[in-house]
Amino acid sequence: MLNFRVLLSQIGLAVVLLGLWEYLTAIGYLSASLYGVPSGIATRAWEMMLSGELWQHTWVTTVEAVIGFAIGSAMGSFVGLALWLHEPTARCLRPFIVAINGVPKIAFAPLIIVWFGIGMEAKIAIAAILTFIVSLITTYNGTLETDKDLLKLMRSLGASRVQTWLKVVVPAGTPWMLSALRLNVGFALIGAVVGEYISSQEGLGYVVYYSGVLYDLNGVWVGIFALMVVALLMDYLVTLFERMVRW
Amino acid sequence: MVTTNAPLRTENLSVVFNPDTETEVTAFRDISFELKSEEILAIVGPSGCGKSTLFNVIAGLQPATTGQVEVKNRQVADATGHVGYMLQKDMLLPWRTVIDNVCLGLEVQGLAKSVRRARAQELISAFGLAGFEQAKPGTLSGGMRQRVAFMRTLALDPDVILLDEPFSALDFQTRTLLQLEVMKIISEQKKSAVLVTHDIGEAVTMADRVLVLSRRPGTIKNLVEIDLSREDRDPVKLRKNDKFQYYFQALWEQLEL
Repeated sequence: MLNFRVLLSQIGLAVVLLGLWEYLTAIGYLSASLYGVPSGIATRAWEMMLSGELWQHTWVTTVEAVIGFAIGSAMGSFVGLALWLHEPTARCLRPFIVAINGVPKIAFAPLIIVWFGIGMEAKIAIAAILTFIVSLITTYNGTLETDKDLLKLMRSLGASRVQTWLKVVVPAGTPWMLSALRLNVGFALIGAVVGEYISSQEGLGYVVYYSGVLYDLNGVWVGIFALMVVALLMDYLVTLFERMVRW
Repeated sequence: MVTTNAPLRTENLSVVFNPDTETEVTAFRDISFELKSEEILAIVGPSGCGKSTLFNVIAGLQPATTGQVEVKNRQVADATGHVGYMLQKDMLLPWRTVIDNVCLGLEVQGLAKSVRRARAQELISAFGLAGFEQAKPGTLSGGMRQRVAFMRTLALDPDVILLDEPFSALDFQTRTLLQLEVMKIISEQKKSAVLVTHDIGEAVTMADRVLVLSRRPGTIKNLVEIDLSREDRDPVKLRKNDKFQYYFQALWEQLEL
């Protein structure tokens, strides 16, 4: 019942905002050529659906973002957890991780395009790098937050470092790993879209960029809304995964 | 060293932090005592007398600066897993069920699953928690959680159990019940235990002997024998017992509070 009311108010909010936008454009307060207009966006989206290009572009971006997300998050989480096992290594790597984290990862994009070409591989690589770093840092910091008394308990039981890692550090770090996954939905899409901005012939980033160049602002909005739908779907997948592994 | 059957003995133990620097601190020194078989020895002392550090050394979690620890006439150095250690916080793993928490130490020792389960089930039944095997710790009361922690300690069948203020976070009724239960189980299973506590009443209720430590640096000030029978130790009757009052008063005066 409550969920239904929440859903209803969510739809209501979207309708009111879009309606207001449409109305302000109709009375001439907002310019359709500068801001786009909901009815125009709907028409543009419909055309793109009929021609099949919207599906094609959405599919390309989704595949890039999801694969990049999966590779980056899995590797980042694993390395982040594993660094706990060997403190000297973790300490040695720390300044490098901090340095890479500080750089806007997008700055690597031109290099990646040189290495991987202008196909989907390059976008997957950018999404993977972004999500790798976020997962690595969040998960590693999570392992450092493990309750000191729990570690003491494990030692008093005679547990080895690997045993302590498997039985305590990894499960205790799981909530941290999961919170990084949520952030990574956004980062994976940034990676894919920015890669498409730089050079590509397809994908939602290409739709947004190319429509912008042509002053087709309704087309830009179609791309943005499609990205939002992809983001919501990916977030939902993360929720499903969370239910599987959460304790 | 003389060979006796003491389950635990310490000789001239001392711990100095940051030796030979300006921040040098002696936690305790010259701690020698012998835990008798099947007794509960309580250690009381003012805050900061190094009780927790002493337990860490006995459990092998931290080296002593001088002296040694012997468990069943075997010298303990840089080794762990020879004593059962129960802390103030129950330290249950929230992602594990009750039975899996009880099994933790057995898993660490690499016992087969069927053996672990059987041992844990036995303990869970003995503590009246049958039916809660699959419950997560988050759904249990403080007293139940501390029982599970005690079972986890007992599961490894240690000869010596270290109890580090295990009841201090519980309410009065739960604490009283648990004190009785733990005393009963320790005597039934013929274990020996060292109990660190702030609560003099608890020390008198549970212990056969009470070791009084001085202010930091902690040294042994006195060793008081508590002459009360198991029957006397019923918590309600005990409060009215003259001997209880006497011991309580005597220990209270020795603590430099």
